[in-house]
Amino acid sequence: MSDLRRPIGIFFSLSGVIVAVTGIASSHRAPLESANVNLHCGIAMLVFGLVMLWLSD
Amino acid sequence: MPEYLRLRFDEKTRTLNAITFAVMTIFSSGISMYALGLLFQLVLHWSFTASVLLSAAIVLVYTFLGGLTSAIYNEVLQFFLIVLGFAPLAILAVLKAGGWSGMASRIPPVMTHTWSQVRHASENPMGVEAFGLIAGLGFVLSFGYWCTDFLVVQRAMAADSMSAARRTPLIAAFPKMIMPFIVIVPGIAAVALSRMSLGYAIPAKAGGGLDYDQALTTLMAQFYPSGMLGLGLTALMASFMSGMAGNVTAFNTVWTYDLYQGHIRKGAPDSHYLWVGRVTTVAGVTLSVATAYLATHFNNIMDFLQLVFGFVNAPLFATFLLGMFWKRTTGHGAFTGLLAGTAAAAATHGLTLAENKGGWLGTVVHTFPSTMAQNFWIAIFAWSACFLVTILASLASTPKASSELHNLVYGLTDIPHDSGMPWYKRPAPLALAVIAAVVLLNLLFA
Repeated sequence: MSDLRRPIGIFFSLSGVIVAVTGIASSHRAPLESANVNLHCGIAMLVFGLVMLWLSD
Repeated sequence: MPEYLRLRFDEKTRTLNAITFAVMTIFSSGISMYALGLLFQLVLHWSFTASVLLSAAIVLVYTFLGGLTSAIYNEVLQFFLIVLGFAPLAILAVLKAGGWSGMASRIPPVMTHTWSQVRHASENPMGVEAFGLIAGLGFVLSFGYWCTDFLVVQRAMAADSMSAARRTPLIAAFPKMIMPFIVIVPGIAAVALSRMSLGYAIPAKAGGGLDYDQALTTLMAQFYPSGMLGLGLTALMASFMSGMAGNVTAFNTVWTYDLYQGHIRKGAPDSHYLWVGRVTTVAGVTLSVATAYLATHFNNIMDFLQLVFGFVNAPLFATFLLGMFWKRTTGHGAFTGLLAGTAAAAATHGLTLAENKGGWLGTVVHTFPSTMAQNFWIAIFAWSACFLVTILASLASTPKASSELHNLVYGLTDIPHDSGMPWYKRPAPLALAVIAAVVLLNLLFA
């Protein structure tokens, strides 16, 4: 049994970086939301992913 | 689960349960397939048939490749994906609707309160009165699902120790309590937003009425830019796929192990059963496609799912309750009880009408205000019939000797003591914390 925290950490760190970079690079906004959702959610996912990696053995 | 019934009761009880359970898994996976098909239809603009076939193909590959361990590993990853994919939507949608109080002021109070509007069925859009809600949903269906659903129990069985297995459902109760905030709150926000002339509306169903199954996806399209939108849709697909794969795997197990190996062909080499399992997976997915079309006839997926649970889980919960805690329960009793419970569910559905559903026995003795109310009462009747008939039939037949029931009945089983464990690893303090949280949440949203 491998430590589940590692794949979870890798998955969310990568997705976080991709989504955050999309937020920085693109000025596209959702129809009903003016905030940069991609950037904020991307950073949150990256933080979660890094915490998971830090917790894993 | 069927295996426990064989050890505790007899072969016929196990077989009956295996059959009803196999039917239920097919319905459940068909419901997930319907939801996934709907999503593909929305995103790819394909026809419903093409979308359902695509989701069937994905599940087939997914189930062929993975076993139980990989399914559980996937579920953990999918859980976090669902939380991180949906939580921002809940926050953004509620903020846009004016915060919690702003949102609550735009919709009928019944949508943000649990208990204040359930004295009479006419007070709430669910059309359920307090007794039906508490006894049908709160007692029979909730306990039935949490205690006797193969999918849920299988997760605890995969734990590495007895004490971990006992903690599994208690720990799972905490995230389960949080789930409504990310899956129900966006739905409530969708209703509020559709009344705010923002240009957002919940899509209408072909037959009239609003299609609430699409509230979440359409909301995502309004609040997520491409990027997060992809992640949110992936989270949705992940949740449907884990539901389908889990049910197809369970169908496969029950058919191959309990029905095929138990009755059709005993003592064949493992390779033969492996082959049968593969064929069963294909057959299970094919049958699920058929049930996916049945799901299109219901107002929302939850109505259909609760109906299926009422037929299968509700009587089974009575059987397990008596089987585990009353050593006098006999095999004949359990079998007749299960049969009576399922028959009672069918009779209730056949003799009552709700939103044009049911009533297929010709005479209609009662009309429910909603299918949800009908489902809850089906569960109540199924459970009560099974409970009473099991007791009566058990008293009329000879029970097994206590020596045969060791480790199968509560009073005849050594319960491991966890006194050496820290408090957060012992079941009792965890259960108290769960109860406290439930009471608090119900008071907050009364």
